Amino acid sequence: MFLAWKEIKYSKTRFALIIGVVVLISYLVFFLTGLAYGLAQENRTSIDKWDATGIILADESNLNINMSMFPKDQMDEVDAEETASLGIASSVIQLEEETDDDSKINVTFFGIDGDEFITPEITDGDMFSDANEVVGDLSLKEEEGYEIGDELSLAGMDTTVTLVGFTENSKFNVAPVLYTDHETYQHIRASGFGEREEEIISAIVVRTADDTLEEVSIGTDDLELYEINEFISNLPGYNAQVLTFGLMIGFLVLIAAMIIGIFIYVLTLQKSSMLGVMKAQGISSTYIGKSVVGQTFLLSTIGVLTGLGLTLGTGLALPNAVPFQNNGLFFVSITTLLIVVALLGAFFSVRTVVKIDPLEAID
Amino acid sequence: MKLIELKDVTKSFDDGRKKIEALKTTNFSVEEGEFVSIIGPSGSGKSTFLTIIGGLQTPSKGKVYINDEQFSELAEKERAKKRFREIGFILQASNLIPFLTVKNQLQLVNKINKEKFDIKQVESLLSDLKIEELQDKYPGDLSGGERQRAAIARALYHDPSVILADEPTASLDTDRAFEVVEILARETKKKKKATIMVTHDERLTDYCDSVYIMKDGVLNKK
Repeated sequence: MFLAWKEIKYSKTRFALIIGVVVLISYLVFFLTGLAYGLAQENRTSIDKWDATGIILADESNLNINMSMFPKDQMDEVDAEETASLGIASSVIQLEEETDDDSKINVTFFGIDGDEFITPEITDGDMFSDANEVVGDLSLKEEEGYEIGDELSLAGMDTTVTLVGFTENSKFNVAPVLYTDHETYQHIRASGFGEREEEIISAIVVRTADDTLEEVSIGTDDLELYEINEFISNLPGYNAQVLTFGLMIGFLVLIAAMIIGIFIYVLTLQKSSMLGVMKAQGISSTYIGKSVVGQTFLLSTIGVLTGLGLTLGTGLALPNAVPFQNNGLFFVSITTLLIVVALLGAFFSVRTVVKIDPLEAID
Repeated sequence: MKLIELKDVTKSFDDGRKKIEALKTTNFSVEEGEFVSIIGPSGSGKSTFLTIIGGLQTPSKGKVYINDEQFSELAEKERAKKRFREIGFILQASNLIPFLTVKNQLQLVNKINKEKFDIKQVESLLSDLKIEELQDKYPGDLSGGERQRAAIARALYHDPSVILADEPTASLDTDRAFEVVEILARETKKKKKATIMVTHDERLTDYCDSVYIMKDGVLNKK
C-alpha cells in the first residue's frame, strides 16, 4: 500500500482521471440500478404490500389476473389460514371538473372487502365506508395533486367516485391503485363485461403462517393456486423489464472492471523498467504485485464509492415522477462486485510483474 | 574476510547456431573493505560478470559465494531475498523510484522488511553523503550527481555486505564523477563493504584498491 498510495499522490492528475472514469461508470451502473429497481417496484408494490403467500386465479386465465374472473362464492370452497377476495379492473380517471386529455390517468381498481388482510393501511384520510368511495395511492397526491374529497369521473361511465384517503406504495403495472369496496367494483367492472347477477372477483389472495402453500386446498378444478412470486414474475412485461435492465447492469459492471484492468495494465507496462530495477534490488514480485492490487483496490474503492454518493445525491434531487428507488442490498452487492471484478482485472498486471526480467534493468 | 568469492565460474549462451562464452573460467574474490573496479570495452562481459555476482543470472558452471554463503545455487526466490539483504545496487540510470522522495526511497526498505522507520538513521546517512537537505525531494528534481548520491544512500541503507555499481558515473561530468567515486570508496572503507564498480573510465580507478580488466570474457588483474 505504501508504494501504491505514494504513486497516486505523486501522479495526481493521471490517477484523478482514472478515478474519474470509474466514478462515471459506477454512477451510471448505480443510477441504472436505482431506476430499474424503482420501475420494477412500480409493477408490484401493491402486491408486496399484501405480504401474501399465494394467489388463486381462474384456471384458464394463464396467470394473467386481468383475464381471471370467477364468482365470489367460490371462496367458500377454499381452505386456507387467511384468504382475501380481490377484484381487479383497469380504468381511466379524471377530476370531475377537468375535461382535457392531459388530465386523464390510468389506474387499476382493486375491489376488496374492508376487513380482509389485503386492506391497505391508510396514511392520510379515511378508509372507504360507503359505495363509490375510494382510497388512492399516495402518488396521486404527490405527482398529480389530488386531494381528499376530490370527485373523480370514470371513463365510459356516468358514475363518479370520491377520494376519501391515501395509502403508500400501491402501484400495479406502473399505475396507481384505487381501492374500493366490492359493490362499487362490481359496478365498474360491469361497464366492461355487462351486468351479472352474481358477484365476480379476479383472485383470492392467500396467506399462511409458515409461508408454504402445502396446506391450502382450493376444492375446485376451475381455480388454480400459484406462489405469489410466480404470479409477480408473470405480470405482463415484468420479467422482460427486469431481464433487460439486469443484463445492461451486468455488462456495465464487466466493462467497468475491464476499463480499470486495462488502465492498471498500461500503467504497469509503462513502469516495467522501473519494476525491473526494483526486482534487481531483490524486491519480490509478491511485494510489487501486492502493491499493484492494492492500488487497484484504492482506485476502484474511491471511484465506486464516489459514484454511489453521486447516485444517492441524485436520487434526492429527482422529481417524484421518476421511478428511482434506492435498494441497500443491490447497492452493496454492486459495490462489492465492481471492486472484486476490478481486482480480478489487476491480476493480469500482476502476471506482467512476475514476468519482468530484472536482468534487463542492468543490460 | 572474503565477502565475494567466485570459484571456477563460467557463463555461456547458446544462440542456436554456436555457443558463445560470455565469461571464461574465472576465479575472483573481494575482501571486506575492498573497492574493486572492473574496466573494459562494452560487450566484453563486464555486465554478465556483475549480474552473475548479483544473482540476476546463474553461472553455467562454478559457484558464487556472498558473505560466505553459497549464492548461485539457491532457488530464484531465495536468491532474490538474499539479494535484497546482502547486495546494494547502484545503476547507471539510478536505482531510484521516480514517485518516492529520497526519504521514502529509504523508508520503502523498512516497509518491505516490516521494520520501524528510524528518521535519525536516515538523516545521519544522508548527511554523511551531504544530501540531508534533499530528503523530501523527488529524484526528478535532483541533479545527476545528487541523484547518484541518493542512489548510494539507497544502496547502503539496508547495510548490505556487497555493493555492486554498474557505470555509476555514466551520466555525470568529470567533477561529479570523481565526487561520486570518492564517496563510494570512502563508504566502502568506513562501513566495511566489498564494492565492485564496473566502468569504462580508467581515470576513476585511482580510488580503487585493485583494478581488473575484462576482455572477451577473460578477467585479468591490472
